[in-house]
Amino acid sequence: MKHSFIDQYSGLDSLIHRLDPRTKFITSLAFIVAVVLTPASNWRVFAFYFCLIAVLLVISKLPPLYVLKRSLVIFPFVLMIAIFIPFFKQGEVAGSYNIWLWQVSVTYSGLLILANVVVKAWLCILSLILLSSATKLADLLKGLKQLGVPRVIILILSFMYRYVFVLVDEVMRMRQARDSRNFGGNRLYQLRTIGNMVGTLFIRSYERGERVYVAMLSRGFDGEVRTLHKLSFRQVDAYFSTTFCLILILPGIVWW
Amino acid sequence: MHIPDGFVSTPVAAVGCVVAAGCIAYAVKATNKKMGERQIPLMGVLAAFIFAAQMLNFPIAGGTSGHLIGATLAAILLGPWAGVLIMTCVLGVQCLVFQDGGLFALGANIFNMGIVASFIGYYVYRGGASLFGGRRPGKLVGGGLAAWSSVLIASIACAFELGVSGTVPLGVALPAMVGVHALIGIGEGLITAAVLGLVLATRADLLELQKA
Repeated sequence: MKHSFIDQYSGLDSLIHRLDPRTKFITSLAFIVAVVLTPASNWRVFAFYFCLIAVLLVISKLPPLYVLKRSLVIFPFVLMIAIFIPFFKQGEVAGSYNIWLWQVSVTYSGLLILANVVVKAWLCILSLILLSSATKLADLLKGLKQLGVPRVIILILSFMYRYVFVLVDEVMRMRQARDSRNFGGNRLYQLRTIGNMVGTLFIRSYERGERVYVAMLSRGFDGEVRTLHKLSFRQVDAYFSTTFCLILILPGIVWW
Repeated sequence: MHIPDGFVSTPVAAVGCVVAAGCIAYAVKATNKKMGERQIPLMGVLAAFIFAAQMLNFPIAGGTSGHLIGATLAAILLGPWAGVLIMTCVLGVQCLVFQDGGLFALGANIFNMGIVASFIGYYVYRGGASLFGGRRPGKLVGGGLAAWSSVLIASIACAFELGVSGTVPLGVALPAMVGVHALIGIGEGLITAAVLGLVLATRADLLELQKA
């Protein structure tokens, strides 16, 4: 397996890594909700939240460049929203441009909406990166189960986690095989090739799924997955979550 | 189409979460009754399959590329409720592991690409297949049409969520989103049809699964 993109840094050791996954999940969700709830253009509050998440990221010892790179996934969406900005007609005009045949004018309210959305999305994505990079997925799933996510979903997710590496390897092998055979031609032909690859992948996955189930059944699987590792909600978790939530509502008290 | 956090307003995100949670709860009950534990490893492997299949990009116009959503494929192969569960897991992992789509916006994303896409895909496929008397061309055309319309309707739902949130003006965003996804959907439709063709030719029994 040549890919380590799933929980690459979850093996590090820091205060954040040692917290209970439930604590991390709940506090991340609280942070995201707080950010989304913050009214537009409250820049001081956003700056405050940024400092908070930056401190946590430093504590977690995650490489900053890695975090920055990961946070760029929102970029396509930002671009898509940016295209619509000139269509907000209300408000004072910030600039007017003639592009080919169109008269395009950008209003302040349009720019404000864009800035607001980008800042919020970026803060949220930082907290999600912190959550996912500082927690082993298996632990996170265990935590989610105790937070009331249905057993079936947790089981599907754990199987998915186990087999995603195998199938991604399979896809990469198929892609390499395709590319080494001069993949090209017209678009319809390309789509058909991809369709055949996906179909083959499906049949292989399906048959693998059946074999896995039979193998598990013969080893006594009764629908319950048991592990020795138990989650523990310790004192540190209680301190961390209380402090974190207090800090979260601080701007609400001070600046409103 | 994975909406990040902050792009939809709090009420929209909250309603999305509640609706998605309700549908997932029902889907869990429906699949438990119909399939039992035998299908759980299978659904897990198929969720991984959808995930891996999404890595295969296909060319669209002008150097851009798109990838499968896969909801229609999952719904056709295992039924709409199982499709909802599989897509929920795929979207959940994309959110939690790759930050593709927000956590608070996950409800809205599951609604668009999991629930809406699965059901539209499944029923259009059934309609198309029965129109042709359940023969091979009917299944292929029905499947392709189903995948195309599921992408389209999901993008409409997405545009509405963004519009209602005040992030984009709905009057412009809706036709733009529909236009772009009508194009992307062609890729999804053709690939889905090709996949169905291959499965029909090699293991046609798999397509009868959700009737059993």
